Amino acid sequence: MALRSISRRFGSRILNYRSSVASLHSHATSFGFQQVKEEEKSKLVGNVFTNVASSYDIMNDVMSGGLHRLWKERLVGKLSPFAGMKHLDVAGGTGDVAFRIFDAVNSVKRRALRKVDEDSLEETQIYVCDINPNMLNVGKQRAAERGLRDNKSLVWVEGDAEALSFDDNSMDGYTIAFGIRNVTHIEKALAEAYRVLKRGGRFLCLELSHVDIPVFKDVYDLYSFKVIPNLGELIAGDRESYQYLVESVRRFPPQEKFATMIADAGFEKVEYENLVGGVVAIHSAIKL
Amino acid sequence: MISILIIEPAITTIIPFSHTYGLCTSSSSSTTTWEGTRRKPRAEFQEEKARVLSASLRHVPRLGWTEEAMMAGSRDVGVSPSIVGSFSSKEAALVEHFMDECLQLLLDRVDSGLDLQNLIPSERISKLIRVRLEMQVPYMSKWPQALSIQAHPVNVPTSFKQRAMLVDEIWHSVGDGASDIDWYVKRTVLGGVYSTTEIYMPTDDSPENRDTWAFLDGRVKDAFDLKKSIQEAKYFAQDIGAGVGKSFQGLMNGVMQTMSTRGGGSSSAF
Repeated sequence: MALRSISRRFGSRILNYRSSVASLHSHATSFGFQQVKEEEKSKLVGNVFTNVASSYDIMNDVMSGGLHRLWKERLVGKLSPFAGMKHLDVAGGTGDVAFRIFDAVNSVKRRALRKVDEDSLEETQIYVCDINPNMLNVGKQRAAERGLRDNKSLVWVEGDAEALSFDDNSMDGYTIAFGIRNVTHIEKALAEAYRVLKRGGRFLCLELSHVDIPVFKDVYDLYSFKVIPNLGELIAGDRESYQYLVESVRRFPPQEKFATMIADAGFEKVEYENLVGGVVAIHSAIKL
Repeated sequence: MISILIIEPAITTIIPFSHTYGLCTSSSSSTTTWEGTRRKPRAEFQEEKARVLSASLRHVPRLGWTEEAMMAGSRDVGVSPSIVGSFSSKEAALVEHFMDECLQLLLDRVDSGLDLQNLIPSERISKLIRVRLEMQVPYMSKWPQALSIQAHPVNVPTSFKQRAMLVDEIWHSVGDGASDIDWYVKRTVLGGVYSTTEIYMPTDDSPENRDTWAFLDGRVKDAFDLKKSIQEAKYFAQDIGAGVGKSFQGLMNGVMQTMSTRGGGSSSAF
């Protein structure tokens, strides 16, 4: 398995008003390839995740051949978590990213290297926010399995990415892995991310994205539209949800466009890195 | 590299924190400071990074050239320590920033009237290297760590470039007087003097580093022992194939000669 990564810097904020407004509107009213009313999209997405919650993790493994673990490792690596940080993982339902951050901060090696400094005695807080209570329950269960049920560092919160219940300038880090695609109004989620981050705080988004490489693109499309819904049927007993998933990936803005949107929300140093030729992209930015 | 240090001529060590902190923090929150409205509404990432790195230097003697020092620096500046995660080369960024600041400081000192007129070239070189090395005195306990960071293969291109620039500037300030000695030879000779003194310094515990300055004077004298050192440097430059314009045959001859004549030579590579 080969991982290709291309990192590109996105410094300017060229905004073409008409086309961006149109495409945002189209994201808000699209449920995969179907057209739906804006108010309904949230409910429909909610249904999808209620249905898939219990087999979410297995399906991730099957669909990506286990690669999703490596992608999440890379995301957390880029974040460089530190002790005493306040972190928010949005749409992090089953806790994959949150557990990795927790481990990174508390690993034995880290603790040994840590110098005694007044500020690092602050407690690390990792908030896991998800709009869907079923996903959160799966996450809490996994925490209990790891013996972290009563650990104060991990806090499970039900909430909407477009209207977070956290204070302004309260978070050192914000991650959203495979979640922003499902949000009705992307720009609202980005604005909320900007609001809750402290100065110097980092925004990191891991998401399925667009592949442009000629032959590989066709292979990927074939895999997405022929294989994945069938796997969904077979393993989770739910073809429609996985059909929605692959369609929503195609409808999501491409890397450069999404980078513009992040910059418009006010972020600086917007960059993205393609993994596996663009199947997945990690966008990162800083609030200054 | 934007330098925002204001140092009186009498001070010979770099104290970035105490001089710039007051200026920096006030400018980010109000519009009535000397920097005016430029910082609002968006502080550039590079500027923030430079501010964080400058503030981090204060923590280096205690925490070393590490992420912890940079995170402490970011807290001083009022920025989340998360920002350190976005620096591409982590510790190397801190060391490189320090090297740049020192070079800038050296140039400022020269411009603002470091007395070089009455000195002969060898004394000028001695003085300039001394001024530059004195900037490292507060960090001397952690300097070996900085050297090892600079020696990592990943960081070598940048550290080499910074040192080459330093040596260039020193020659330029010396007045680059006489001779047709090859440009590479001059760089190499001075680079050698600087590096050996720099490596000697952390081992020196004489008062005010007296032994280091004596060592430095000795090396400079050797280098200026013209006949001997030009020849040595030429042979050395030949060894590394640097522009002395000889053919491969000549190069091999040079290597042979160097191996047989070089005894207690003092030129070391950089």
